[in-house]
Amino acid sequence: MASNFTHPLFPLIRKLDSIATLTDEERQAVENLPVRIRALRARHEIVRHGEKASQCCLILEGWACRSKVISEGKRQIFSFHIAGDIPDLQSLHIPLMDHDLCTLTQATVAFIPHEAVRDLTMRFPSIAAVFWRDTLVDAAIFREWMISMGRRTAFDHLAHLFCELYLKQQAVGLAGEHRCPLPITQGDLADATSLSNVHVNRVLKEMRGKGLITLRSNTLVIEAWDELIRAAEFDATYLHLQKRAVP
Amino acid sequence: MSLHLQPVRVATSSDDSESQLVFAEGFLVAMLVHLSEQHEDDAGRWFLEAGFGRIPSRDHPTFLDLDEAQTWIRQQLGNAYVS
Repeated sequence: MASNFTHPLFPLIRKLDSIATLTDEERQAVENLPVRIRALRARHEIVRHGEKASQCCLILEGWACRSKVISEGKRQIFSFHIAGDIPDLQSLHIPLMDHDLCTLTQATVAFIPHEAVRDLTMRFPSIAAVFWRDTLVDAAIFREWMISMGRRTAFDHLAHLFCELYLKQQAVGLAGEHRCPLPITQGDLADATSLSNVHVNRVLKEMRGKGLITLRSNTLVIEAWDELIRAAEFDATYLHLQKRAVP
Repeated sequence: MSLHLQPVRVATSSDDSESQLVFAEGFLVAMLVHLSEQHEDDAGRWFLEAGFGRIPSRDHPTFLDLDEAQTWIRQQLGNAYVS
């Protein structure tokens, strides 16, 4: 058990373990995956729209996002990803990328050949089920983002996003006591919420003024959790964070 | 196309309140807001708070000054009739 804390793929083990308890054999199979580990700079394009992927990218450290750029350089961020996530897992079955995957911060990632992931999921159907479940939760998060994009006010949208980012990080042991890393810019928040930088700036100031949050040194402190979730009408059901035995 | 500006104060739930309504041929086409100190690097610029008709209401560009903003608005309006 203690060895997991030093194994390079520990973030993936931790993520899988937050969903279903792994057997020793499964854990070993994950640890033995033939990965290529790379340190990437911030704002690095890992895989681009139109490319054919032959490997999956596991985030070991840092943040990444999925996004798409349209005319005049307008960028929409679809999702944020943290250690333990495999943001391009779907490329295993649909290798032609229909969006970009980029780092937001300096990051360490592990590239796992599709063949190895396929072999792992064939040998251990319960791991395949956890991966499948993860893509379903992904879809649930997209639905919630759609509601925020279409129906929530700028204030409620950002409040909702902060609750989500905190809980996602807390679930894998990267946050606690209503304090979590938020190593992204106001521009990133604007691109993820379809708001202008100006609107994001105004809302953040309003939140600070109301004593709901503090933002300093890439850290988000939620000073009034109950008030923030009330303001955002936040219901964490869609994150499906409770540990579930996968059949 | 001549534009007409009318200063107003606008409630934005922020320090940004100085604003100009922009009219073209009598029609309200845009609202520009002067960005306050809270915007740091963008402070002092003019922000397209809202656009109507041919002025894209989803985009929110900022401009160095009112002249630049009006040039951009004229480009968006082109020669088309405002309504």
